[in-house]
Amino acid sequence: MATVPLVEKPPAPAVEPPSPNPKRSIRSYWRLYAAISPFYLLFLAFGLIPVGFSLYLSFHRWDGLGSMEYAGLSQYKYLLTDTDFWSSIGNTIIIWALATFPMIFLAMVTAVMLNSAVRFKKIYRFAYFLPNVTSVVAVAIIFGSVFSTNFGLVNALLQAVGLDQVAWLNTPWGIKVAIATLMTWQWTGYNAIIFLAGLQTIPGELYEAARVDGAGPIQTFFRITLPMMRPVLLFVLVISTVTGLQSFSEPQVLLQTTANESTFSGGPDHAGRTMVLYFFQQTFDNNDFGYGAAVAWGIFLVVVIFSIINWRLVQRRGED
Amino acid sequence: MRLSRRGLLRAGLAGTAATALGGLATGCAVPTGSTGRNMVLWYWSGGLSDTVVKKAKARYDSSVDLDAIQIGGYYRSKLITTMTGQAHIPDIAGLKGEDMASYLPNADQFIDLRTLGAEKLKSQYLDWKWQQAVAPDGSLIGFPIDVGPVVQYYQPAVYEKAGLAHEPDDVSSEMNTWDKFFAAGEQLKKRIPGTYILTDVGSVFEMSIGQGTTRFVDRDKHFIGDGQHVRDCWDRAVEAKRRGIVSDLVTGTPDSISATEKGRLPSQLNASWAAGDLKLQYPKTKGRWRVANCPGGPSNVGGSFLAITKACREPEKAFEIITWLLNADNQAQGFVDAGLFPSTPASYDMKKLREPDPFFGDQITMDVYGPAAEKIPVAFNSPFDVALGQPIRDEIKNVGVLGKDPKKAWRDAMSKCRRIADHLGVSY
Repeated sequence: MATVPLVEKPPAPAVEPPSPNPKRSIRSYWRLYAAISPFYLLFLAFGLIPVGFSLYLSFHRWDGLGSMEYAGLSQYKYLLTDTDFWSSIGNTIIIWALATFPMIFLAMVTAVMLNSAVRFKKIYRFAYFLPNVTSVVAVAIIFGSVFSTNFGLVNALLQAVGLDQVAWLNTPWGIKVAIATLMTWQWTGYNAIIFLAGLQTIPGELYEAARVDGAGPIQTFFRITLPMMRPVLLFVLVISTVTGLQSFSEPQVLLQTTANESTFSGGPDHAGRTMVLYFFQQTFDNNDFGYGAAVAWGIFLVVVIFSIINWRLVQRRGED
Repeated sequence: MRLSRRGLLRAGLAGTAATALGGLATGCAVPTGSTGRNMVLWYWSGGLSDTVVKKAKARYDSSVDLDAIQIGGYYRSKLITTMTGQAHIPDIAGLKGEDMASYLPNADQFIDLRTLGAEKLKSQYLDWKWQQAVAPDGSLIGFPIDVGPVVQYYQPAVYEKAGLAHEPDDVSSEMNTWDKFFAAGEQLKKRIPGTYILTDVGSVFEMSIGQGTTRFVDRDKHFIGDGQHVRDCWDRAVEAKRRGIVSDLVTGTPDSISATEKGRLPSQLNASWAAGDLKLQYPKTKGRWRVANCPGGPSNVGGSFLAITKACREPEKAFEIITWLLNADNQAQGFVDAGLFPSTPASYDMKKLREPDPFFGDQITMDVYGPAAEKIPVAFNSPFDVALGQPIRDEIKNVGVLGKDPKKAWRDAMSKCRRIADHLGVSY
């Protein structure tokens, strides 16, 4: 309680000249630091320490219960030559690309349409956002029937236009397309909302000026809308990279198999086994926590590299 | 404004304190603080009969507060997290059959049930099941809950239409070998085109492995998955594919469900507990199923244990509760409630287990399950079996689903196994 009067004299610190001793000023702001500390403490306890521990773990062999055994760099050495890990990276990137580019295109189209449409705008926004808050597990189950070979909606449509059935969940490419479609469906609306927010920050005068100069809608889109949207596009691309590279539930639920098989195998030929699925399989199916940690750090590196590539690409286009 | 700022500061401080205290609390909540009266039991949904658990609570109410908690999600990882974290460890823990091998090397985390007098009860339980809970040092870490004898579920009307044996006894005797079963599959496909006796080749491989006494890794930590016993199971699965008696449907999809309802997939090789899944998944087919022996002999899938952890304050009491929960009477109740097939042969003759089952056309299914359960071969389960069996399982799936060349698939499986064995320190 002795500290209360100090708080009740708010002008005092403002009048004082800046302290020459930085340590003292930190000490005098302790209440503020204390006030913001819960996040940092929680982050430390549930974020930083586990991250540090996983690094420590990746240099060990551990079955999760017994004693840890120091293994040096052997987990990483194995990781580098592990074809399963590399193929899981390949799968993840292919699925990500198959999902992201159509998603950005569709989201942009949707956003531009939403921006120009006048009626029921809010209902549309709500409807487009809905897929994003629906449980992935529920979505994956529905998509499982949509893509099923004999009774699926997709094959019914294909047959209606005279094409052959495709065993979507039974062929390596079919699996990838099915997972990518699910992710596209899930994220298009969300990103459309973000694009819409970006579109609304573009000043109307620019469009007016363009119209006066005789620019058509396509020219306006490529010369004004797209350049002005670059920061938003960067944001969407980076976020979708990070989420796309972490995809887990989609293939897991979509390719769920019988009891005597691993749920994390990713279907025939491991076609749907993403990096995170592989991590989970190694860690929790095989009880190989040390190797699982090494895989997790491998995934981290891949995500970092991809985010940098993304950022560079969009950035360079901005400088041109 | 000032008030709200102070309020904010206070909230922040309170939050910090709560976090710190929370952290401390979890750190200190090792059961040392327990009075010995509370007894926490962890299991999963369907892992024990709810009726029996309720009865146990009432029965031991005067001496302990039995707190039976159903743990959802990925059970094993939750259990080992609490055990490694040394906090909130349950006194009694369910151990799933498929995870059992991975607990055995860490037998020191559990109480050796022999020290509590388990040996005296041994004769009442299936021997092969009992052996599965014996750790390399000879200690017994789990007490058998249930087992999963594999049988052939089939639709007699479809078999009859195809001119096959269709009474349970006839099916059991006329399809008692894999070869006869495959021949029946060929006849079925010929008489009723579009009908397959097998949904996937995986079940042939899996059940065949379960019929043997050796698996993928032996007691000396040596990889034996390249041996003839695995090769035979592999060839058998490939043979099923070659004969064209395997569907190209994926188990559990609307396709396979619809095909099963229409009688296009009239049979399934699966464990006793799959009867519950059949009833749930195909309610419309009630009365259209029967149960017969698995071709090639008895096999086992799944079945769990109860263990007492080192954190338990009163192992004697815990042991008393476990042995009561899992006595022959209560195991019979477990079968009626939750489809948990008893590990106590004495239950098989009980009246409540010999009720005709309307789903199976009033067949007394125990006549098939019971003898199968007693004849399951004893096989050593290595903690490395999962990791080293997976590449072989994956490749047989590729043969079955993608039509991969079996020779190449076997070579790929073996080279992958060699790498994994090397990495895990298993000799090859």
